[in-house]
Amino acid sequence: MKYVALVIAIVCFVIAICYALGVIGWFADPAHKHHVSHFVLFAVLGILALVWMRFAGERATP
Amino acid sequence: MSDLQAISLAILQGVSELFPVSSLGHTILVPALLHWSVNRRDPTFLAFVVVLHLGTAIALVVFYRREWVALVRALVRSIMRGRLSDERDERIAWLLVVGSIPVGILGVYLESPVRNLLGSAAYASIFLMINALIMFVGEFFRKRQHEDRGKRYKRLEAMKWIEGVAVGLAQSLALLPGISRSGASIVAGLAVDLDHEDAARYSFLLATPVIGAAALIELPRLWEGGTHVIALQALYGGILAGIAAYLSVAFLTKYFQRNDLRPFGWYCLVFGALCLWLSYKGVIS
Repeated sequence: MKYVALVIAIVCFVIAICYALGVIGWFADPAHKHHVSHFVLFAVLGILALVWMRFAGERATP
Repeated sequence: MSDLQAISLAILQGVSELFPVSSLGHTILVPALLHWSVNRRDPTFLAFVVVLHLGTAIALVVFYRREWVALVRALVRSIMRGRLSDERDERIAWLLVVGSIPVGILGVYLESPVRNLLGSAAYASIFLMINALIMFVGEFFRKRQHEDRGKRYKRLEAMKWIEGVAVGLAQSLALLPGISRSGASIVAGLAVDLDHEDAARYSFLLATPVIGAAALIELPRLWEGGTHVIALQALYGGILAGIAAYLSVAFLTKYFQRNDLRPFGWYCLVFGALCLWLSYKGVIS
């Protein structure tokens, strides 16, 4: 589970950066080049995945 | 937008954001009823609305300040420890986190298309009546479960994770103009066996990060070309919305200690039906 969480975190951060740089614009308003709300969403999801990784890691080593 | 319109919209937003009557629905229907020429897609109006939301979020943080301090401390403690405990504040803090995820994802992806598609007075009126039905159905099942069959209420911290997500998901219904965020999440809270007081408290706590984050993300709009001219209106609008929201949450937390959602349901049903009829007659659009 720890590694699944890590992969999810990395994927979320990569997507967040891509939204911020305007590399991707999936389901985003084409009027804006940099999709701030999508960036913030994926950055927060990435951080939550890291927290999940920490919880999963601790449980494995009591 | 005149000063009087700005003041009215600010107070309307502050009150209707927390009362289970849909702020989005009211900010569509009331200007339409009064024939105000408010362009909802105008950047200056959007910037104004952002500040109203920020005022509302700040009012919620101020009202629940002691609770938020305890929740954030509990959250940080659990992350540092790397393990979840059964402590009350920690449990509620994580319930708020998992409850905010669905509305965060759906809000980012669906808010704009839904608003463009369903932003008319007719749709807002129909959804306002559906909002009333949601509250009536919620109250009917709560009464049957807890008053007729004697089932006991659950404490907020006893909620399961999946129930926290379900209440958060219900909150996403508020993307539809006319469906109330607090109404939907309070009904979902009742459906997972919370009493009115705890369901309302969870709903208001859950609303704070969502409203605050949405406002903060949109804040750069204030500095977009030309919008600085409404800075003064936005400033006093935000303060008024905050005061209205603070008084509303103070009233509602007391109200839900002894009362239920039905009066709000009747209001939404009557107001929604009236607006739908006026929309059908072409008086509002």
